[in-house]
Amino acid sequence: MIFRTLAVAALLVGAAQAAPLRIASINMCADQLLQTLADPEQIAGLGPYSRDASLSWLAEDAKKYPRLTGEAEDIIALKPDLVLAGKYGKKATRDLLEDQKIKVVDFDVPRSIDEVKAQVRRVGDIVGHPERASALNEKIDVAAARARTKAAQGHPKILAVSRRGWIAGTNNLLSSLLATAGLANAAGELGLKTGGFVSLETIIAAKPDLILVAEAAPSAEDQGKALLLHPALDRNYPPERRIVIPEQLTICGGPMLPAALDRLSEAMSGTGR
Amino acid sequence: MLSSQRSLLNVLLPALVCVLALASLGVGAVHLPIPTVVDALFGGATEAQRAIVQEIRLPRTLLAATIGAMHGLSGAALQGLLRNPLAAPSLFGAPQAAAFGAVLAIATGLGDALSFALPLSAILMAFLSAFVLVAIVGRESNLLLLILAGLALSSLAGAATALALNLAASPFAALEISFWLLGSLDDRSFRHVLLAWPFMACGAFLLFARRDAFRVLSLGEEAAQSLGVNVSALRLHVILGVALGVGASVAVSGTIGFIGLVVPHLMRPLVGHDPGRLLAPSAFAGAALLLAADIAVRLIPSTSSIKVGVLTSLIGVPFFLYLVFRERRKLEAAA
Repeated sequence: MIFRTLAVAALLVGAAQAAPLRIASINMCADQLLQTLADPEQIAGLGPYSRDASLSWLAEDAKKYPRLTGEAEDIIALKPDLVLAGKYGKKATRDLLEDQKIKVVDFDVPRSIDEVKAQVRRVGDIVGHPERASALNEKIDVAAARARTKAAQGHPKILAVSRRGWIAGTNNLLSSLLATAGLANAAGELGLKTGGFVSLETIIAAKPDLILVAEAAPSAEDQGKALLLHPALDRNYPPERRIVIPEQLTICGGPMLPAALDRLSEAMSGTGR
Repeated sequence: MLSSQRSLLNVLLPALVCVLALASLGVGAVHLPIPTVVDALFGGATEAQRAIVQEIRLPRTLLAATIGAMHGLSGAALQGLLRNPLAAPSLFGAPQAAAFGAVLAIATGLGDALSFALPLSAILMAFLSAFVLVAIVGRESNLLLLILAGLALSSLAGAATALALNLAASPFAALEISFWLLGSLDDRSFRHVLLAWPFMACGAFLLFARRDAFRVLSLGEEAAQSLGVNVSALRLHVILGVALGVGASVAVSGTIGFIGLVVPHLMRPLVGHDPGRLLAPSAFAGAALLLAADIAVRLIPSTSSIKVGVLTSLIGVPFFLYLVFRERRKLEAAA
């Protein structure tokens, strides 16, 4: 008990050597940083979406670890030294954990490649493996440099379109990846800094050169996704005007970024540009 | 006097629907001047403008008109069948049940949101709920019984829809629940039109085919029976017609309530109390009302789009309260 208290205290002053023994995560993005940077025995449990291959890049690896519900109960039973959580997670859960004297570390949603790299360093320090963090960041830098050399000419306009007409804003990680690959996020012209829903007419009228979607052949599992199959979108954006990047590559920042950047460069060479 | 009023109505209402349909093609997130809209409709203008008018606004307009017509028609038919001014599909849960059917079809993997499994399953559930309601209410046409049975059925269907979506693995379930329960015509395509129209046409045909029987029925069930109307068959007929129309509508738009309640009441003073004559004007007025509501949601400035089902409920519920107020005495007598 004393050791644990000391470990947490040490963590607070940033001493990487005395890293906590057991760390749990209840945030999908923190899950993946933990999986990449921590020793397997340091990981006490991962969040509810950690094994969902459509969302997490490391879903297969996540099966090695206990899956948490994201609610306070099983975390308290697990008694980890530290919990990684999303900044916008449920406050009620956090309050319960803090009542139990379980320390919670917040992670904001990264909005650029640089912010991702900062988070990688932060988790590297928490788990006591800053060298792994530096190695990952270096890989990200190399991939970004590679993407820049292959960057599209003339900054083609692109809109990232999701279900129900959700448009990824300019102030987010995806936009930063697009910019690295020489693409201009047309959401800026629509005044969507943080993203938002727009109607299909607005998308067609904005006339982006390309659209970015998560699936090459989406299924209309509900009316929200049926929008992505709308004939107006189909006709104006045939496959050669679409860039397909699966969500698991773009939702979070971390170990998937080099693959995301490579995929982006690769997809652009397939658009006939 | 009444007959001249009627023929005037038969001209004015279709004209109103046409004007509103044109207006509906003219409004949207993207501002297009009316000449451009007309140009784009007939194959001119730029490619993007054509896509907007022909492929996005046109199906939406057609759906608003026909779904509104179907709701108005169903309301008029049900009020005729049950001889009760408070009868309307949305009050006894047919749309909610249809929504459950549609969600069930998707959840069980019978089909996706663009397959025929969706309207079929919605129609089946709407039929079941209407059938159960009519079975409970029986021949009495008791107001209190009708409302209570309707409340129970619509609550059950709503809870079942929420459960089906609750159990769905998709993290977007909450968003989709709101869609089904609010009702909207945003960004529909001709695939949706194709999905709904065959069934709506059958439903409308069934209801119109029995308009003379409604007239006879207004004399009372026994009198109708003695005049050679098979009341049980009529009942089944009407339920089937309503289920086809409402089920197919809900499968593409979600639940849009209260048009079936409001419209026949607006038309009744104009056409008189003959339930057979009420059908056509109610269909046109329903089309006009939903078109107007769907135009309004696109014009009302708001940060995120207002769903048309919300607007029709906002109009419909106060109207319903007014009807309850008017029927208060009857209700008190029944209790």
